[in-house]
Order: sequence, then structure tokens, then C-alpha cells
Amino acid sequence: MPSVEERVIAVAARVLRLDPSEIKPEHAFTTDLGAESVQSVELVANFEEEFGIEMDEDAALAVQTVGDAVTFIANVCKERGVDV
Amino acid sequence: MAKKSHPLVDATEPNFLEETFDYSLPPLVRFDGPVIEYVDGEPVEFDPQSLKTRDIVITDTTFRDGQQARPPYAIDQMVHIYDLLSKLGGPSGVVRQTEFFLYTKNDRETLDRCRELGHAYPECTGWIRAVPGDFRLVQEAGLKETGMLTSSSDYHIFGKLKFKSRRECMDAYCQVVDAAFEAGVRPRCHLEDVTRADVDGFILPFAERLMRMSEQVPEDLSVKIRLCDTMGFGLSFPGVELPRSVPKLVYKLNQEVGVPSDRLEWHGHNDFHKVHVNGATAWLYGCDAVNATLFGYGERTGNPPLEGAIFEYIALKGDLSGIQTQVITELADYMRSINFPIPANYPFVGKAFNTTSAGIHAGGLRSDERIYNVFDTSTLLGRPPRVALTDKSGSDGVALWVNEFFGLKGDERLSVMKVHKVARWVRDQYEEHHRMTAISDEELEAKVKELMPQYWAKYKG
Repeated sequence: MPSVEERVIAVAARVLRLDPSEIKPEHAFTTDLGAESVQSVELVANFEEEFGIEMDEDAALAVQTVGDAVTFIANVCKERGVDV
Repeated sequence: MAKKSHPLVDATEPNFLEETFDYSLPPLVRFDGPVIEYVDGEPVEFDPQSLKTRDIVITDTTFRDGQQARPPYAIDQMVHIYDLLSKLGGPSGVVRQTEFFLYTKNDRETLDRCRELGHAYPECTGWIRAVPGDFRLVQEAGLKETGMLTSSSDYHIFGKLKFKSRRECMDAYCQVVDAAFEAGVRPRCHLEDVTRADVDGFILPFAERLMRMSEQVPEDLSVKIRLCDTMGFGLSFPGVELPRSVPKLVYKLNQEVGVPSDRLEWHGHNDFHKVHVNGATAWLYGCDAVNATLFGYGERTGNPPLEGAIFEYIALKGDLSGIQTQVITELADYMRSINFPIPANYPFVGKAFNTTSAGIHAGGLRSDERIYNVFDTSTLLGRPPRVALTDKSGSDGVALWVNEFFGLKGDERLSVMKVHKVARWVRDQYEEHHRMTAISDEELEAKVKELMPQYWAKYKG
């Protein structure tokens, strides 16, 4: 099964129309990967769908980097009892 | 002047200043001291707290000045508008009077049908030329009061009416006032062009003569004076000289001549965008009545908007005083239905008066509507705040629109993530398809049905 990081990168690549190999954990979604406002929302929505979870809107949209998103999602999954 | 230090008053809880911004009312007008105006070089104090107890009122001229600027209303239309004005002003008659032409059969039939409704307010008054013979019309109509033109600037006295002197003019006006007394009709002298008149040389002597004449008749016939800012030259600022100063005009007539506040009325025009504030200023300085028209429609640039005066009244009084503010929306809908144009950005009734297009404003509205809504427009006007979706609206705007559309409140409201497909569609309209117009409610409704089927089934199914 792919890791949380691999799944986050796959979703980010699909939403932002990038090659997965271009996306690194230290990349910020907006400044490094070029995510616009609506794409930030799409990212969060697609992460929710990918992992079968619901996230707090403000907290999720405050996440800056790919690595932080991995940690944030892993924590939410753990809290909700979702296996990843 | 020495500088004053202003240290931060730190807080962890917000102070929304609700003694002024009580969301259930328009923001209140609160004074923290007397108002001072220099008159003839001497400071004069006015007590704004007196507004709370004075019987300030709104008088209406929608059917007279308002109708001079548009094709005539049908009789049924005027009767319906009159009925709604009565409902709006409530049982204490905040909308105290309205005036009618009396010259045609239709004028008289309109008046009769309005009176047949049996409303106490607005009282019906007439409007005639300053010609003794016209009082027959007022008498026949059974009216107790009529307005009459008594133009007061030399532009009118010499240029329009061709009098040879001010004295000849004043004598002629006073003859008509006498005719009104003889007919048992209260005259309301409309001092046309008062903000361009010689106040010391004509206005005050004429007003003094009218007050002396009034002493000879019963109180209910005594002359009322309407101060007509015919060209919109009036100014509300303190320190302005006569004849343009609204405070000084009101003071001179009220305090120096002794025209009681309840016999003074302000009638403005909007040539310099000062029409509403001048009316409110007249209230403040001692004139009890502000003459207005629905949605400000009147000669040229229009008159004080009646609905604006209504909200000012509530803000000054601090409560609704029996006013039914939602009737303003009913009146606007009715006026639009009879082809009366109201600009989209017109305060209180325009289609977009509480609609925001900016995403950042929509975000504020979504978290707390008080942030970008002037007062509780849902309750007071039946108009919840809305967003119009454009390229500037963002996901916040889409979420606000969708939540309003589904009627969701509190925790039920959908997050921006739940509307992301619709937000993407909106974005693409502008980014991909180079759209130049706002997106209509109908288009959005169709897209919500298509892209959010599970929520559509839940809330609209």
C-alpha cells in the first residue's frame, strides 16, 4: 500500500497538474507549487476524498507544505481511527 | 496643541460597540455633547438629545414633487402606494402627511379613494398655486391644509414672477394667505429657493408677518413654513454663512422669528448629493418635518429619499417607533413592477445593496454576517446579505451562495471544500472561457444540482 506521503503527492500532482517527481516534502503548495486559492480548496477536498476523512477547514487550509500536509493528515487519520 | 498619548487597550474578547451597532437596528446616532453653531458671531447651543422626545416626522411628496419628474401614476397605483405608506409609518404617523395635486378629475378621484381607506396617516394635504381662486379647489376637496408657492429669492421674485418690488411680492403672498384663512384652510407657505434668498431682507420679515397674521386665527389655521432648498444649495456644515446654512436658516426662523418647530418643514433637492443629510440636519436644529419622496424621486436630481429618512429617524430615536421597515422592500418591489427604475446599488432597496462580489468580503460574511452587512437586513428588510459570483468571489463566495441557497445555518453550513467543484466551474468561466459578466442565480442553481447531487437531494429533493 502506498505511504501517506506518496498518496499526498499523487493527489497534489493531479490537482496541480504536475509530475509527481517534481513534488518534494519541503515544497510549499502556493509559493513552490503554484497553487491558487481555488486549488488550495481543491487540494483539501481531494485529500478528504482520498483518505475518507473530514478535516477542519481553517486548520487544513493553514497547512503550508507537502510535508506538513502529510503530518496533518496522518494525525487526523489517527484521531479518526482510519488506517493508512 | 500638545500631543496626547493613546496606549493600546489590549483585549482578548472583542468589543463590538453594540450600544451603537445593535445589529437589530440601523446604527444609532449617539451624541456626546451639545451641538454648537455660531450665529451672528455668538455661539448658540442645540441639544441633540431633544430629538428623542420631539415629535419629528416625515412628510411625503411622492405624488407631487415625485410625480413632477415622471409620467403620471395611475389612480390605482397611487392608492396602493398611499396604503403602503400608511403601513410603513405605523400607528403614530411617522409618515405624517402626503400632498396631492387638485387640478384634474383624476387628482380629486385619487384623493377621495385614498381617504376612503380610512387611514389616520399620512394626512392628505393639497398643493396649489398662490392664487386666491385655487382655495375653492381645496375647500371642495375638504382638505384642512394646503401648500402654496411663495417663492422667496430675488431670482424668483423678480426673474420668474416679475414683481416690481419685494413689498409688492410680499403683499401678494399675504393676500393669498388671507384667502386661505377665509376659506378655513391652513396655508403652508413654500419658501421656494430659500437657500438663494436674502434672509435678512426678505425671508425673516416675511416670516414675521406670517406669524403676526397667524396670531389672528385659530391655532389649527396658523401658517406653516416649508423651507425649500429648490436648487440643492443648502449646506449642513457648521460655520457656513446664510443663506446656504441649514442650521442658521432653521435657527433664525425657529428662535428669532418664533416659528414653532412643528410648523417648520424642510424640503430639499439633490443637485449636490446633500439632500438626505440636509434634511436630517434640519431635524437636528429645530425643524420637525422633513419632506421626502419614495426612493428620492423628484424634480431633476430628486428629493430626500423617504426610506433614508425612515432609517435616520430610527437611528435618532433609538427604536422602531411602530415603523414597519419591511414595507420599504414591498414598496420597492411594487415600484419596479410599474416600471420605476431603481439602480442596483441604491441603498436599502437596490438589487445589490447588500450583495458582495469580493471573495474576501464573502469570507467575512460567511464567518459572521455582521462583518459586511449594515444591519439585520433579513429582519428589517426581508433581504439577507448575498454574494454575486464573479472572478473575484473565490470559494468563500461560492460557499456563502450555496449555503444561502440551501438555507443552511450554523453547523449545518457547508465548508468551502464541499463546494469546490462549483468553485472550480466558476473560476473556469473567467480563466478558461474569458467570461465578462456575473453569474446568474439560475446558472448557479443548475450547476449546484449537477455538481453537488447528494446535497441537492438532501436539501432540495
